[in-house]
Amino acid sequence: MSGNDFILNGIAVDDTFAEAFPMKATRLIVTAHRIEWARHAGVTATGFATSVIACGCEAGIERELGPDETPDGRPGVALLLFAMSGKELAKQLERRVGQCVLTCPTTAVYAGIHEGEAIGLGKNLRFFGDGWQTSKVIGGRRYWRVPVMDGEFIAQETTAVVKGVGGGNLLLLARDTDAALDAAEAAVAAMRRVPDVVMPFPGGVVRSGSKVGSKYPALMASTNDAFCPTLVGLAKKTELDERIGCVMEIVIDGLTEAAVGEAMRVGMAAVIQRGADSGLLRISAGNYGGKLGPFHFPLRRLLGAAAAGAQGASA
Amino acid sequence: MNGHRLTLRQRLPLRLDLRGVLPGALAALDLAAIERLPVAHGREWLPLAECFHIETFEAERPSLHLIGDLARVDHIGWGLDGGEILVDGPVGDHLGSTMRAGTVRVRGSAGDLAGVEMAGGELHIEGDAGHFVASPLPGGMDGLRGGLICIHGRAGDRLGDRMRRGSIIVGGDVGDFAASRLVAGSVLLGGRAGAHPGYGQRRGSLVWLQPEAAPEPPATFVPGLGDTAVFWQLFARDLARLGRQHFAGQAMADRLNDLPARRPQRWRGDLAVDGHGEWLLPR
Repeated sequence: MSGNDFILNGIAVDDTFAEAFPMKATRLIVTAHRIEWARHAGVTATGFATSVIACGCEAGIERELGPDETPDGRPGVALLLFAMSGKELAKQLERRVGQCVLTCPTTAVYAGIHEGEAIGLGKNLRFFGDGWQTSKVIGGRRYWRVPVMDGEFIAQETTAVVKGVGGGNLLLLARDTDAALDAAEAAVAAMRRVPDVVMPFPGGVVRSGSKVGSKYPALMASTNDAFCPTLVGLAKKTELDERIGCVMEIVIDGLTEAAVGEAMRVGMAAVIQRGADSGLLRISAGNYGGKLGPFHFPLRRLLGAAAAGAQGASA
Repeated sequence: MNGHRLTLRQRLPLRLDLRGVLPGALAALDLAAIERLPVAHGREWLPLAECFHIETFEAERPSLHLIGDLARVDHIGWGLDGGEILVDGPVGDHLGSTMRAGTVRVRGSAGDLAGVEMAGGELHIEGDAGHFVASPLPGGMDGLRGGLICIHGRAGDRLGDRMRRGSIIVGGDVGDFAASRLVAGSVLLGGRAGAHPGYGQRRGSLVWLQPEAAPEPPATFVPGLGDTAVFWQLFARDLARLGRQHFAGQAMADRLNDLPARRPQRWRGDLAVDGHGEWLLPR
């Protein structure tokens, strides 16, 4: 177990760091006649996109957009998609937009990032128009108009790929399930207000944190036994003690290292503010000893001056 | 010293070809070399300084300022690939033809064939323009291939003939066969049109900013049904921006600025060819 001499509002912050790795990312703007349909498209397009281990990409709804924030003056959602390569991202984008946005009533899709390597958005989806599709260059950007049964599906020809950061994380160690869920929900709610990040797991939370490798050669990841309460006393190594009954993880993907760090800081601040009476006992993070990725997010450094002040208070 | 001001010494007896006299080319030469530049006048070659009084001025980017009655001066801005040309006075034929980038602005009227096979940049004519604006060169397949042409006054026949990409905005009336054989791109008409607008229109958009001035669509056009409001918002908002940017203080700016609030009546055609073109009449 990491040192527990950093205690903020009764909650210990481990002397450890989250380890993240580079990804390829893009943002899409999906608009619709009503916000409900933009949400439907956004939820569907970012469904089954929790982990690149088996989903091809990680994705989520970054935030909802008002009519004054979208290219066509309709309400919409901003989606962030992350993959391990630009090629895989392009493949996932085409499938997800083709099956989940093109199909969703009244939607249109636009690039949410304009600087970077271009990958197809409407570029290939246009062929659904079977020759009836037309395009128009507006303000230097090409848009495809594909006839569909409710009118036209409008899709910008390309979106831009940028370098992103995947795998930022927080581990919330709590007394029991209620306390762990409450803490995770509070953290995710706060982190969703941070721009340029998504928490791709269900509700932003993952209960099956993983370690690299397995006793079974075919598996590249397996349960993070060091953080499983049911394995305390059984597993060779544990990070828990008898007080911890439940652990939840929040995984963060962001467009920049700074955005991921800020989301982690905001998430930690939100649960620390609730205090130890909430049942949250410790905050930790997952890393692989620095071997997985170049981005390291030391928890105590993220908390900055607040943590420095708490050190004295907890002594 | 990026800027050069050329003032016409006297009205020219014959036509002068100003091909090659471009802001970028002049910026790379000293004044003496510029004065010696040969230009075609009728069937003879003259040094540039014999036709123009040449001065230099400071400019942020390569600039050429032409002053005088240049109605007999052709090919101004031919092949322009950057920089800025400003003309105070009328100009001859082929203004900005084959230009690829940069800006040409004429505070006066232009002759025929302005913006022929233009592929990029901006061409602004604050007066009237002649025939065959944005059309192909003889034997060429496509007219305008990109960029923006703004004509504040009227334009002649065959505006945008075979144009493939880019936008043309005309504040006044246009002649016969406007947007004929249009391959793609956008043509906006602020006034009336002569006979046969949209003749053989394959794709592209012809926007009538005063729908009441639009003629009855030809029999080879059909009413466009279905909801195209999303496209219209994208298009109209950009046109409103262009209006504010290039027609400030004129009635055209108001007409363009109103577009997002209007709903266009739509016609599809010309069914005699591809039939993927459209007329938009925002009401």
